[in-house]
Amino acid sequence: MASILWNISVGHFLALGAVLFAIGVVGALLRRNALIVLMSVELMLNAANLTLLAFARQRGDMHGQGLAMMVIALAAAEAAVGLAIVVSVFRSTRHANIDRLTSLKH
Amino acid sequence: MKPNAHAILFWLFSALAVGGSLITITRRNLVSAVMWLVATFMAIAALYAFLFAHFLAVIQVLVYAGAIMVLFVFVVMILNKDEEEPWALRGLIGKSLAIAGLGYLLFRLGGVLWRAPGKIPQKALMEPDFGSTQAMGRLLFSDYLFPFEAISIVLLIAVVGALVLAHPGHPNVDEEPGH
Repeated sequence: MASILWNISVGHFLALGAVLFAIGVVGALLRRNALIVLMSVELMLNAANLTLLAFARQRGDMHGQGLAMMVIALAAAEAAVGLAIVVSVFRSTRHANIDRLTSLKH
Repeated sequence: MKPNAHAILFWLFSALAVGGSLITITRRNLVSAVMWLVATFMAIAALYAFLFAHFLAVIQVLVYAGAIMVLFVFVVMILNKDEEEPWALRGLIGKSLAIAGLGYLLFRLGGVLWRAPGKIPQKALMEPDFGSTQAMGRLLFSDYLFPFEAISIVLLIAVVGALVLAHPGHPNVDEEPGH
């Protein structure tokens, strides 16, 4: 038990990444505010990055870090477009509640 | 194994990351959610540094805690409105499904931790410049040259797309009468 507490292994980082990803999933599925959903998506991307870097560290391979760099750049692009969509939706409907955005539903 | 500074700092930053993200997804007030998300990203940047990804730790602070969060704060400023009923989880079935999913996740996590390799390799076993800015730059301009150039085009398209979407005179946005 004490060994798990004080001997930090790659598994600790993987478990932390899984916990952060799960929190992001819960936020994206359960919250109704579009902004909180976007924040949860960012959290999930960060958790995936943490996993990539943990494996890069374990294998001593820089390619994991290159992929994580690409993920960060794509996350920035995703946040910009996502927030622009939220602003656009808010302009036309005066709210950002994703449960009430049902105009594409048949 | 004795308590050591490395482990104490790991637990400190991981507690900050998990606590900060939990607070983020439960806040009604959007500004405090954004601020706690900044704290979470800072803790994750510290954990990147633990994994010898020093360059990415700096990039994380610059891009996430700097650029993306400023964008979020600006949108919060436009949207400043609390939700009436923030959570979508209702009924016995939803709650029991959530508890079952959480139990399964904790079970798998325990398995990962239990079977994890006892020790991560020492720095001496890797290339001496692992994770440094120099090594990262060499990687980005050799193996990752095409993705690196492609992502700059993606970012350009994202900027143009965000401007077109958020522009007030967008034709698909119904303007209010008398506007």
